[in-house]
Amino acid sequence: MATAVATPSVRRHRFGAVGSVGRRPLVRFIVKRVLQAVLVLFFVATVAFFIIRIAGDPVKALLPEGATLQQEQQLRHSLGYDRPLFLQYLTYLNNLLHFNFGQSVFFQQSAISVITQRLPATVQLATAALVFAVVVAIPAGIISAVRRGRATDSSVMAAVLIGQSTPAFFVGIVLILVFAVELRVLPASGIGGFQNLILPAVTLGLYSAAMIARLLRSSLIEVLGEDHIRTAKAKGLSPMRVIVGNGLRNAALPVVTIVGLEVGNLLGGAIITEQVFSWPGVGRLTIEAITNRDYPLVQATVLFLAVVFVGVNLIVDILYAFLDPRVRLS
Amino acid sequence: MLYPKEGEPNMSAWDLDRRRFLRLGGVAAAGVTLPALLAACGSGGSSSGGGSTTGALRVSMPADVKSLDPQKQGDIPSMSVASNIFDTLTTRDANNNLVGGIATKWVAVDANTWRFTIRPGVKFHNGEPCDAAAVAFSINRLVNPATKSPIVELVYVKSAKVVDDHTVDFVMSASDPIIPEKVSLFGGVVVPPKYLAQKGDAGFAAAPVGTGPFKFQSRQQDNQIVMTGNPDYWGTKTQIKTLTIKIMPTPATAIAALQSGEIDIATGISPDAIAQLGDNSGASAHKVPGVREYYVAMNTLTGGPLANTNVRLAMNHAVDVPTLINTVLGGAAQRTPSLLPQQVFGFDPSLQPFDYNPDKAKSLLAQAGFPNGFSTQLSASTVDQDVTQAVAGQLAKVGIKCNVNIVDATQFKSLLVSGDPHAMGPMYLSGNTGWTLDGESFLQSTIRSNRRQSLWHDAQADSLIDVEETSLTPDARKQAFNQLQQLMATNAPFVYLYHASNVYAVRDGVDWTMPINGVLAMASAKVS
Repeated sequence: MATAVATPSVRRHRFGAVGSVGRRPLVRFIVKRVLQAVLVLFFVATVAFFIIRIAGDPVKALLPEGATLQQEQQLRHSLGYDRPLFLQYLTYLNNLLHFNFGQSVFFQQSAISVITQRLPATVQLATAALVFAVVVAIPAGIISAVRRGRATDSSVMAAVLIGQSTPAFFVGIVLILVFAVELRVLPASGIGGFQNLILPAVTLGLYSAAMIARLLRSSLIEVLGEDHIRTAKAKGLSPMRVIVGNGLRNAALPVVTIVGLEVGNLLGGAIITEQVFSWPGVGRLTIEAITNRDYPLVQATVLFLAVVFVGVNLIVDILYAFLDPRVRLS
Repeated sequence: MLYPKEGEPNMSAWDLDRRRFLRLGGVAAAGVTLPALLAACGSGGSSSGGGSTTGALRVSMPADVKSLDPQKQGDIPSMSVASNIFDTLTTRDANNNLVGGIATKWVAVDANTWRFTIRPGVKFHNGEPCDAAAVAFSINRLVNPATKSPIVELVYVKSAKVVDDHTVDFVMSASDPIIPEKVSLFGGVVVPPKYLAQKGDAGFAAAPVGTGPFKFQSRQQDNQIVMTGNPDYWGTKTQIKTLTIKIMPTPATAIAALQSGEIDIATGISPDAIAQLGDNSGASAHKVPGVREYYVAMNTLTGGPLANTNVRLAMNHAVDVPTLINTVLGGAAQRTPSLLPQQVFGFDPSLQPFDYNPDKAKSLLAQAGFPNGFSTQLSASTVDQDVTQAVAGQLAKVGIKCNVNIVDATQFKSLLVSGDPHAMGPMYLSGNTGWTLDGESFLQSTIRSNRRQSLWHDAQADSLIDVEETSLTPDARKQAFNQLQQLMATNAPFVYLYHASNVYAVRDGVDWTMPINGVLAMASAKVS
């Protein structure tokens, strides 16, 4: 690529100086995606509203078995659940438009504040798990791809397979028994210092690490077989530069997608890890809300998780369009 | 063509921009992740290490509190925390006797009035006096529908009124002989009226103020609640300086935390988790009687085999309760011959449990016209599925083939209280919790013909229920309970099983016994 010299004018043309031709499809693409996202959120909100009402009644879950029918009716009335379902739905949608997610029946505080109180713990755990996953997966994927078919590749892939197929509750308990009970170097549960974060982050990040490593390996193997790699090698570039500079960069695209989706998974799907490590996150809250048939809280958590997934997908889509022009032109 | 084809000279420009973009992306990603990690590092690690030398006690609890407002919760975890911060009108001593709390005396003036004498000189943690006005305010707040309280025991209390500074009357809409028992826990918590007026309901729930042996310090939802010993407590002052309740939903984790020294007492653990403790672990496991009574209810109202008394007696002879307790329940239960545990008021000590006798069961089935048994359905909640499967297995040995129907716990409870007694099918395994320690709590939903879970109608039983639920004479109530239990033994509308034990583990050097109601009242704990 000896002729590859960028000029400032070309660069402006690419990334949209004012009035550039290249910008409009991207803007149109983003607007379209955002509108789709809003539509998806509306459907999620509606489905959550009706499904949880089919599943049971918060009044029955809230009151002890000895409650009288009159006490039950009184509570149902004061919560507004004796109103016609369609009216409840309209009120719910109207409240949503005003960013009012309702009052949790069990916690007797606004559903959104119940969620936001647990959000920092979830974000902390998801971030640490993702960092762990990426830090482990990238070297593992590269080593495996470069040493394809050799003993190193087989052992890394065997480790990856174990990481991907071992359930979180098992990994979690084993880590607790080894590092908390036997070695006594890390705490068994709860949130607090950095030490508290290590075991749950490893437990949660293990599956993602395995997945990213496998994907990176196959993607990298494909790229390393391409002509431009041979050219780069022929130019006498060091193997490291060829792999990182030419191979990894081209193999990154599918990995970016998966890492993006994993962000959603890690933020919403840490239920088992949170349960095992007594981590006060959104996953445990979701289970609690469903068990209690806490309508407003279930609706709010489902919507929150939907926003996370839709948001992450949106960012990944836009990133993709940014990285690969074919996407936005299709 | 907006972007250059591969091989065109300005391809390098795209390359360069993408490179820059990726570099920027990397910086942005680091920017997002680092603060979170640094925040995690910065908060420092203080979770492990024994606090016991400084009078600290750390106790695990399987679920978080619903609310720190004691009148807006109705579950044992919430009551556990509330019982340390607040006092109730009456309470239970170590031998489960009903003794005074905020009230020193109580008497039923007539069928429609209960009179409580209030302890003088008690103050809330903020200095506010806990007098008759505060007690009346608390009861009126509880029974006001606007409070949306899930506490239902004071159903016949219309209101409370101040008679003088130290006397409060409960005005009743119907006679209720066990009001003093009902105000020993949920219904009897006294809250500070002035503080509530200042802070509002939300402010009160965020920083509760009571009269109890501990003062609230902080709470992190789903993680922990910290309280400090109240040096000005009116009763016996606690030796504990700092009490931390840690929320640990997984029993195996709680045991591991006990073994690693992160907590001093693990509660909410299952009997099989005790095996994890092993010998020389520096902690010991305990099983003490609890107040949840288990039974199999049979629908006698829809004809078929279950309408036949001999079939129901056969079922009682076919279930080997001691084996169930020793195997499935790991010994964490005590057998009961009726729906009442031995520790509650009204239990008839002359009653003997049915002996396990499959041959007798088979001959009773033959007498009833079912020599080859029959097929039926046994429903239960997911929580009780192991014991339900075992009961079904034992019934199968005498020819009663049960299709086991396991229902999600919340759904199960909804069906149970649905108002349709047939919603549960022909048979179901369930339990009654009676923290009042009075027989009424164990019979009220299932026995009288007009009750929601009643599957056996008997006029004599109905009139006996009326006596025990309304009579203000303890002897008359006791007699009614005895007759009821005899009637229930001869008619066998239930298979009588056991009452479950409370299981917990305590680190060596810590002395505490869990009360029968399972509430974590920690003031009496001692740490050496």
